[in-house]
Amino acid sequence: MNKKAIISAFEDIILSLKVLAKEKESVRRKLVTTAAKLAATAEKLAITAKEKESVRRKLVITAEEKEDVRRRLAITAEKLKKSYETLEQKVLERTKDLEMSRAKEKAILLSIGDGLLVTDEKRNIIIINKTAEKLLGVKSQEVVGKSFFEAVLLVDEKGVSIPSDKYPIKMNTTGIASTVAGTTYYCLRKDKTKFPMAITATPVLLGGKVIGTIIIFRDVTNERDVDKAKTEFVSLASHQLRTPLSAVNWYAEMLLAGDVGELNEKQKKYLDEVYRSNQRMVELVNALLDVSSLELGTFVIEPESTNVIELIQSVIDEQMPQINGKKILMSFLFEKDISLMRVDPKHLRMVVQNILSNAVKYTHDGGDIKIEVSSPEKKNILLKISDNGYGIPKNQQDKIFTKLFRADNVRGKDTDGTGLGLYIVKSIVENSGGKVWFESFRDKESKGTTFYVKFPLNSGMSIPIKNN
Amino acid sequence: MQKQKTILIIEDEKSLREAMVDILTIKNFITLSAKNGKEGVKLALSKHPELILLDLIMPEMDGTATLKAIREDVWGKNVPIIILTNLGTTCDQNLGGAIENKLTHYLIKSDWRLHAIVEKIERILKV
Repeated sequence: MNKKAIISAFEDIILSLKVLAKEKESVRRKLVTTAAKLAATAEKLAITAKEKESVRRKLVITAEEKEDVRRRLAITAEKLKKSYETLEQKVLERTKDLEMSRAKEKAILLSIGDGLLVTDEKRNIIIINKTAEKLLGVKSQEVVGKSFFEAVLLVDEKGVSIPSDKYPIKMNTTGIASTVAGTTYYCLRKDKTKFPMAITATPVLLGGKVIGTIIIFRDVTNERDVDKAKTEFVSLASHQLRTPLSAVNWYAEMLLAGDVGELNEKQKKYLDEVYRSNQRMVELVNALLDVSSLELGTFVIEPESTNVIELIQSVIDEQMPQINGKKILMSFLFEKDISLMRVDPKHLRMVVQNILSNAVKYTHDGGDIKIEVSSPEKKNILLKISDNGYGIPKNQQDKIFTKLFRADNVRGKDTDGTGLGLYIVKSIVENSGGKVWFESFRDKESKGTTFYVKFPLNSGMSIPIKNN
Repeated sequence: MQKQKTILIIEDEKSLREAMVDILTIKNFITLSAKNGKEGVKLALSKHPELILLDLIMPEMDGTATLKAIREDVWGKNVPIIILTNLGTTCDQNLGGAIENKLTHYLIKSDWRLHAIVEKIERILKV
């Protein structure tokens, strides 16, 4: 073999080696790539596994939660059940309480010591208590459901039935609660006996609507007896008190007048004190008697045709000794056509007496007193009694009608007042539907008091009398 | 000189009766006195006084019954009678006895001076 062939063989071998090497490299690269891919896949696989694990774990947690919810639900259900039971228990207890309190209320209502009737809006009786049963002489089942007017028979003192429209039970449809009370009724029992009854009827209101009436009544026989006894006692006591007072008055008067011989100055002075103190006692007894007759409720207005001018004149005449004693100028003015008027002469007299005697008491010697009488619109008597006396202090003017009140400025001046006069005046005038007021000044320019009394006339009767 | 008039006083209270007797005697009246209604009616109907003063509350026969008994008599129904009492309030007397054309008058003793009563008697009898 030649050299050239060998070199060529070598060159072929080298070339083939090179190719081989290239291929080898390519394979290696491929291998690397594959390996990388493999690694990536493996990694992915690992992540998936992780996720799976996570899901699995989550599933486990959800199950736990479910269990928890179930448990909680069970607890709540238990609680609910318990609450329900407690509620039922409470409702039971409350019902019991309510029943108890209703029974109590009913027992209280039925045990009231006064007679009690409850009617519905049609005035049919729905409740009657034991006292009412006893007072009326009936049983509950006899009257429940019946009309009030059928069950309670009211009569007057003489036994004459009172018509149902005059019954003290008034339903008022406007729904304004009003209580009607009366004491002048007698109740006729089933056995035809009667008793004086004090009765108060009050509408029952619910949401502004009248749904019935409550009538409370009681037997006032005892009160009447007590009142009668009191009145008798007062009049008897006054009689007994006045008899010795009259004796002192009359004997002192005869001595003072010199009917049985002249007295010396000192004796006269002493006796005058006796006389005047006694006179004061008389006034006190009279005032107490008037007050008690007013307060005992025996105040009855008895109007009669009265010559008002003569009446007032007679009051002035009675007080003339005191008026003259103080050298007071007394004037009496009246309208020409003042007529015989229907008034209660007793009351008018008491009013004039009290105001005039105050004017005389609280006016200086030599003062003026004026009485004026008019009759505005022929509906009232308007009396105006004015003096120029001491006047009433401003800060006490609101108190002068109070019982036993006496103003500061006169308390020291004389001891004659009783503190009852104006209280009596006010009671009489207001009970008669009239009005009394006054003006009083203590200034330098005008001094004195003027009392005004508006006395209502009770009916139209009016006959002119002569004015002398 | 005017003839003396006779007044009958019917009053159970001695001190008041004597005071009235004394003052009326001083004022030139003839007086008769009785201490209860029974005596009073007897004296009134037998002696026919010109005027009678009559108390209301008295033992035996009270003033109301006495008044009735006297008024039932023919003479008695025209005799002026003054009821003198201490019963009732100052105003029960109604017009204070001011009306003098009636035969029966009503006075409260403690409110009337003795001399005023005498004056009233004199007015009624027009002495």
